[in-house]
Amino acid sequence: MSSSSQSDVLLVRAIRTGEEQAWNTLIARYEGRLLAFVESRLRNRAASEDVVQETFVGFLTSLPHYDENRALEGYLFSIAAHKLTDYLRREGRRPALPLSATEDSQGVWDVPGSARVASSLARSSERRQLEAVALQAALQDQVEHWQARGDWRKLMCIELLFVRGWANKQVAGELSLSEQQVANYKYEFLARLRNAVRRQGLSEEVFPELYDAEPEGA
Amino acid sequence: MTGKPMASDFTDSELAAYLDEALPTDLMSAIESTLRTDRGLADRLAAIVRRRDAGVHSLGEVWRSARLTCPAREQLGGLLLETLDDGVAEYVRFHVETLACRQCQANLADLRAQAATADPGLAERRIRYFQSSAGYLRRDS
Repeated sequence: MSSSSQSDVLLVRAIRTGEEQAWNTLIARYEGRLLAFVESRLRNRAASEDVVQETFVGFLTSLPHYDENRALEGYLFSIAAHKLTDYLRREGRRPALPLSATEDSQGVWDVPGSARVASSLARSSERRQLEAVALQAALQDQVEHWQARGDWRKLMCIELLFVRGWANKQVAGELSLSEQQVANYKYEFLARLRNAVRRQGLSEEVFPELYDAEPEGA
Repeated sequence: MTGKPMASDFTDSELAAYLDEALPTDLMSAIESTLRTDRGLADRLAAIVRRRDAGVHSLGEVWRSARLTCPAREQLGGLLLETLDDGVAEYVRFHVETLACRQCQANLADLRAQAATADPGLAERRIRYFQSSAGYLRRDS
């Protein structure tokens, strides 16, 4: 754990005891970046300050459920994102979604580009959490491997492919790679992840991207 | 993005990031604008929500929510001070400018603001945040 993470853990523990100075410290430490995050969207300082204010209140009200293993900064940003979304909806800037877009009440979903239609898998939330943790660990392992080797191009390539969902051609153009190189990096990355997932004995169906013949962006 | 955006301009990964308020702000606005007239885009977003509800895992979403590659704040500071090694600097610049990570951009903006002239409203703002929230402080039993 980094020193800043350790500092955050101690800070949160003090806040849990009701220590006002600790709460002041957290506000001072994070309000600037939260304000920048919100204001970049709202372009209105007064409204942005209100959203950040709601974020801090939201943090305190959710504190009993906050897991110290989760990075504090990311948690605060996620609360801010929710508060920002709420604000934008109230302002009519963020359209509501028709969540029943297709007439299906059984939780049936399609993977775009795939012929497979899978029925909803009845898994407990604990099981889903286990799967997410396993996938995160496999991803982190690969990321740290590339970082340690200074394989920055590979890292950028995979990030554009899977975090942004860009097509191979677009990634190749952005990073001055050949499309073949991009395809090779993708193949190698997915193969490693599949192995990691299999070792954990997890179901393939809940990680469709690892097994699609034509993943997004191909 | 030139011309009026269409649903096909956005990947599913980008739409998932839209749901989490995690896309670059220009893309967030473009999707919101397109949603008002493009039913197909709304259907795609709804499908992503249903996949999440069904517990299907997305590499991009796990990567993004865990912030696997977000540079440490110290590294962002190093970018501003030009003290990073070349390879690391290239990656951090990519993360902020090309991937356009909103949270890292916010961190960078905050670091720039701190290095610039003093913010006259800073103390008052922090007092207001404290006063509006301190009532929610409570001791763990």
